[in-house]
Amino acid sequence: MTLHIENTQLRDPERLRSLLLDAAENLGGKGSVVLEPRLPWEAQAMLLADADQQPVVVSFDAEQARMALLNGLQLLEQLSAALPWINQVHDALQQKQRPPRLVVVSEDFPPGAREVLASCPSLKLFRYRALQVNGETGLWLERMNPGREQITDTSLPTAVDEAPPAAELAPEESGESALPPLSAEETAYFQQL
Amino acid sequence: MVSQLSPAWQRRPASSGRPARAHGQIPDGTPENTRDQAPCRAIPFLLDNAGQNRIVRQLAEVLNQRGHSASLYPPEQHPHACSAEELAAQAGLEHGKTEFCLLPFLSPHALQRWPLDHVVLLVPAELDAVLLAYRRIKLLSCTRPPDIGIVMIGPRDQHAAWRYFRKLAVGTLRYLDVPLLNLGFLPQQADSDHSTDDSYRHNFMTRISERLVGSEFCTPLQAGEEDREKP
Repeated sequence: MTLHIENTQLRDPERLRSLLLDAAENLGGKGSVVLEPRLPWEAQAMLLADADQQPVVVSFDAEQARMALLNGLQLLEQLSAALPWINQVHDALQQKQRPPRLVVVSEDFPPGAREVLASCPSLKLFRYRALQVNGETGLWLERMNPGREQITDTSLPTAVDEAPPAAELAPEESGESALPPLSAEETAYFQQL
Repeated sequence: MVSQLSPAWQRRPASSGRPARAHGQIPDGTPENTRDQAPCRAIPFLLDNAGQNRIVRQLAEVLNQRGHSASLYPPEQHPHACSAEELAAQAGLEHGKTEFCLLPFLSPHALQRWPLDHVVLLVPAELDAVLLAYRRIKLLSCTRPPDIGIVMIGPRDQHAAWRYFRKLAVGTLRYLDVPLLNLGFLPQQADSDHSTDDSYRHNFMTRISERLVGSEFCTPLQAGEEDREKP
């Protein structure tokens, strides 16, 4: 079978959410289950439970990696306060009252990610590429490993039935993340029409 | 309203760092009279997504219907051509004399490898898409900026198209010193395969193609090669 692979863009946060839900095991670890596909706050996030019955907050943002990280930290604080209630509602947590851990997903790693990661070993940072493989959209997730010079640990694509090897999936031009960054002024200018 | 673009946002003259254009070699007669003398001209398109290939294909059809000989040549499907001139030569071999060679690109990085003076960006009428277009223009302007034309895809109406274009054009002029040329828009009702009125869509495609041809928003391929800078 011939694989036709090309970059694509995910502008719709709900589409991204849907693909990330499919990738729950990649993000939270094997055996993870989805508790809340969306949380009752403005931030784009979801709640998982990993195989050890620990809640996992997945914060994502298709536009700004910084916002994904900051929103995630804020959610972590809010969920920590609501931990008894969450344990009561979700049987998958088995009332273990374990503190939530954070997973951040964005198109590129947030600034200062390596330093933050060095201080918070339980934090997981992923960046993603949206790819179309034979017309099916999928995510290629890369995790940043602490203590390594290069960002490695390519995970398998999600929502694609036949996962091609990572080397084949790597787009030559690495998508829009290879575009020049925006200054704060530019970002503010394009916030609204 | 669309045509009332501030002169500051219109095409700037060719700078010294840009390849000389063979304007004098583009005949200004009717298509029938010029086809034998005119060089093949490339119109590169930078697409927002692969689905927009359909729009470029239909533009080629409209150009053909209006007496121009236009062919669609996705560079990805001609990997052995390492210059636009080679692609034009292939086009000539496959289709005889071609007046316009439409080159759809999906990646600005791929576009940078080709020494082209112009590029048309097809930009969906969404704020996110406008921002992406801005970032792509920023990348293109890092090296040798081509003249950039914009076609807004899927706005509700002309007023909405103008607002999105203005947002992008003011941004590129303010932060990148890059003026943009407004080449028109394809409204929401016409940007669909299920458009109930084909003539409605055809009218907009015709306007876009006329602006492309009328503004000479294309790069002559066979002429002036000695003046052309290699990237």
